[in-house]
Amino acid sequence: MSDPRFIRNFSIIAHIDHGKSTLADQLLLRTGAISQRDFRNQVLDDMDLERERGITIQMHPVTVYHTYQGQKYELNLIDTPGHVDFNYEVSRSLAACEGAILLVDAFQGVQAQTVANAYLAIEHDLTIVPVLNKIDMPIARPDAVIAEMEQAVGVKPEEVLRASAKTGLGIDEVLAAIIERIPPPKGQPEAAVQALVYNSHFDTYKGVVVYIRVMQGTLRKGQRIKLMRGNTEHEITEMGQFRPTPTGCDSLSAGQVGYFTAQIKNLSDVHIGDTVTDALHPTDTALPGYKEPKPMVFSGLYPVNNNDFEELREALAKLRLNDSSFTYQPEVSEGLGFGFRCGFLGMLHREIIQQRLERDSELDLVQTAPNVTYEILSRKGEILEIDSPQKVPDAGQIEEFREPFVRINFLLPAENIGDLMQMCSERRGVYVRTEYLSPTRAILVYEMPLAEVIYDLYDKLKSVTHGYGTMDYDFLGYRAADLVRLDVLVHHKRVDALSTIVHRATADRRGRKLLKKLREEIDRHLFEVVLQAAVGSRIIARESIAPMKKNVTAKCYGGDITRKRKLWAKQAEGKKRMKQIGQVDIPQEAFLAVLESDQ
Amino acid sequence: MNVLPPWQWPRAAYIHIPFCAHHCGYCDFAIAVGQDEQIDAYLDALALELQTLGTPQAVRSIFLGGGTPSHLNCAQLERLLVLVRRWLLLEAQGEFSIEVNPDSMDEAKVKVLADHGITRVSLGAQSFHPHLLQVLERLHGPDQVARAVEWVRQRIVNLSVDLIFGAPGQTVADWKSDLDRVLALEPTHLSTYGLTYEKGTPLWKQRERGLLVALDEESEWQLYREAIDILEEAGFEHYEISNFARAGYRSVHNQVYWANEAYFGFGMGAARYVLGRRETNTRDLRTYLRKILAGESAIFQSEELGEEERARETLAIQLRRAEGIARCRFRLQTGRELDELAGEAIRRQVELGLLRDEGETVALTRSGKYVADAVIERLL
Ligand SMILES: Nc1nc2c(ncn2[C@@H]2O[C@H](COP(=O)(O)OP(=O)(O)OP(=O)(O)O)[C@@H](O)[C@H]2O)c(=O)[nH]1
Ligand code: SF4
Ligand SMILES: [Mg+2]
Repeated sequence: MSDPRFIRNFSIIAHIDHGKSTLADQLLLRTGAISQRDFRNQVLDDMDLERERGITIQMHPVTVYHTYQGQKYELNLIDTPGHVDFNYEVSRSLAACEGAILLVDAFQGVQAQTVANAYLAIEHDLTIVPVLNKIDMPIARPDAVIAEMEQAVGVKPEEVLRASAKTGLGIDEVLAAIIERIPPPKGQPEAAVQALVYNSHFDTYKGVVVYIRVMQGTLRKGQRIKLMRGNTEHEITEMGQFRPTPTGCDSLSAGQVGYFTAQIKNLSDVHIGDTVTDALHPTDTALPGYKEPKPMVFSGLYPVNNNDFEELREALAKLRLNDSSFTYQPEVSEGLGFGFRCGFLGMLHREIIQQRLERDSELDLVQTAPNVTYEILSRKGEILEIDSPQKVPDAGQIEEFREPFVRINFLLPAENIGDLMQMCSERRGVYVRTEYLSPTRAILVYEMPLAEVIYDLYDKLKSVTHGYGTMDYDFLGYRAADLVRLDVLVHHKRVDALSTIVHRATADRRGRKLLKKLREEIDRHLFEVVLQAAVGSRIIARESIAPMKKNVTAKCYGGDITRKRKLWAKQAEGKKRMKQIGQVDIPQEAFLAVLESDQ
Repeated sequence: MNVLPPWQWPRAAYIHIPFCAHHCGYCDFAIAVGQDEQIDAYLDALALELQTLGTPQAVRSIFLGGGTPSHLNCAQLERLLVLVRRWLLLEAQGEFSIEVNPDSMDEAKVKVLADHGITRVSLGAQSFHPHLLQVLERLHGPDQVARAVEWVRQRIVNLSVDLIFGAPGQTVADWKSDLDRVLALEPTHLSTYGLTYEKGTPLWKQRERGLLVALDEESEWQLYREAIDILEEAGFEHYEISNFARAGYRSVHNQVYWANEAYFGFGMGAARYVLGRRETNTRDLRTYLRKILAGESAIFQSEELGEEERARETLAIQLRRAEGIARCRFRLQTGRELDELAGEAIRRQVELGLLRDEGETVALTRSGKYVADAVIERLL
């Protein structure tokens, strides 16, 4: 049994790329948890996609031991992702800790995610250890950044440590501060068991691996336990800690962080945020738990070949085994046939899921443009949840159309405020306030429809601020707006998968742009292809694609025939990624044209 | 006598002569430039390859193509013709064609050709405009064409002329005057080829580097349409996408290709289609010579298609002809029903006015000819 006095639990939080995973590397090396020989950069980022993209997608817990002033300490650290889509992982991690290292890049300074994550830590009552990272960089501006940290999140300048996760400079001071400043966990090893489930993953051989932080009491191998949410009982078959590879142990007591398996077959049987207790001597109080992350962005996913529907279903089910934050439900589109409506936490999450699907299965897929979830109050007084433009009822049945609003914080160079304000007002943003971190950097706060945020606001922000602006947003609630469904007719046939929900005032402009874009994406056909945009029965724009004029190869003699046949096969292959609607071949890109017709 | 049908056992033979005086800008044929010292060895090799026939074969058509067969000197030409006729027995009324270039013709060569049974000459004129011949990187000038025609005509009536349209910078007026001038020569047959930029050719490289601008689709279409209008008006039948003939002068040999029937092939880079098997010889002169002279096969690619693939290929190729596809004959040749393969797609193209369905036959309409590749693609 470990003495809680010699345990420290903390997360590493920061804006994207400020060096969290690199700092974790240093801590692993310095404490000997990993040898120089086994070391590779960002060693905890072990998923293929994480390594490829150089970002953290999932939280990574790890246990290390460090001797400080003659005393051995158990340090449980959790590396967290910096991207806003995976913010819920940060909240989950923080609930398992007493402290957080807040890293700030000494050149980039305070960014949107720095502020958002610092406030999350403060909400959880955690002790913050502020660390200025990357001070080895010649362009580092430590004093200015420390001033920003003081202004933005209220840290005391004298408490800020200066380090380089890359060179190892200042790491001993960071370790000392972890032990000195972060309070030890409060629980009693002898009390009734109370452990927080802060994460889980599925293992083909062992079933669900449950990640826990023991708050009170002691869990032992072989013990009968109860998951309080579902009131299900299981027996612990294996338990241990990540060091960083899973390393077995016989017990985990108050203050410790680790995992157990109990032959649980289904990931959905384990709720993140649930409380684990002893089956015979249960605690009376469950831990508060978490809010479930809710998918914010939806899009349709269809197999190009309708026969692949079942295969797609299997592939989605397999993916969901390890990512319960994404959802899917069968849906039928007139144009695209049978497919699924999938929900994602954000655009990066969507991209990652799509990439995994394409990698794991050989399916050719068509993905429709993403949309947010809307609410409609019907004339009958019902509230309908609309996660697809196809579900919008006739205008006559709608009492009120509502869309999700977010509060969005931009952190940007003061000189770009004017440009950004203009961009926000074009996107129906409502100004809230401006705060200055320094004469040159400011926080700009807006309330804005989520639909205006998800597609490309981030890219636009980057271009307006030459890369120096960042943003972060929180869900506020639903607000009524004058929304309509914008339909597209291709050759007089409505293509439901091309419908979008837009503000009435922008419908005409969006319709015209969308058609222009579609015109570029759809190849010429043997006949004139007519494209129309409509709101209800009103046609608001029209374009046409002139028929092909000349398309014939001059020669076809003996030796050319084999070559020609190969060419035909190649063309047929190209057609595979297209959907035929009516007689028109529509390429995958066309379904995404909706996105680019935004401005 | 052969009892196998003509799509199984050849009634036609192709012989390839790769030698050329120079590499034309658009050309991606199997050619050999600056290797004339190999011509005699090549004829030795051809003799050996023809010998693999075992017994002489009766054919309705022999085609000597290139490269530039007329690049051979009189003695070499004579040797070639004698050799070919030893192994390939031309039926009465059979067609014996040769491709020639204006710059490599003279009266003496015409005499050799005529004396050894050549019945048809195909002359590569390409254009009558010096600036376009220059763009195409051809060696000859316009007057050489007229002279060559004059010589040929003294002995051989059946004369085909090749023209190319769609060269960079070509105008409708340029093209019309080319057509006028070629008609003045009174050929029996004409081939008009839309210029294509084949990967790796000098012209393709220039286009890639932005040194020339290809004509747009609209202009190409105009030139093609003019050709059909003018030549049909002049009494030629447009019997295949790129080919026009006076009554009775369609090319026997080419019709074998477009019916997807069998043919022998000899020489470097030559293709053959015998007993349902497609084979192509190596396109490299040294390899060809080495292999054949060592008594080995020079085949570098070969494939046998399944029944369905063969049927679709037949469909695609036959549709290029003015007479299109005859349902009954198609069934006989491929073992498949045309309508099972492509019935729905055919109906659709008929609706669009691109195909004509006359019950027994299906063929491209005038508008269908302009976009034949796209129409065919939809039937496959
Ligand atoms: N010069 C210098 N570069 C650093 C330092 N720490 C991290 N980096 C570099 O910064 C980049 C991002 O580092 P990561 O550790 O992946 O950052 P992260 O915060 O984990 O990123 P996310 O997980 O995507 O949010 C990498 O290229 C690191 O090599 C440092 O102290 N000095
Ligand atoms: S003469 Fe004919 S074969 Fe020879 S290079 Fe010119 S186009 Fe090609
Ligand atoms: Mg990371």
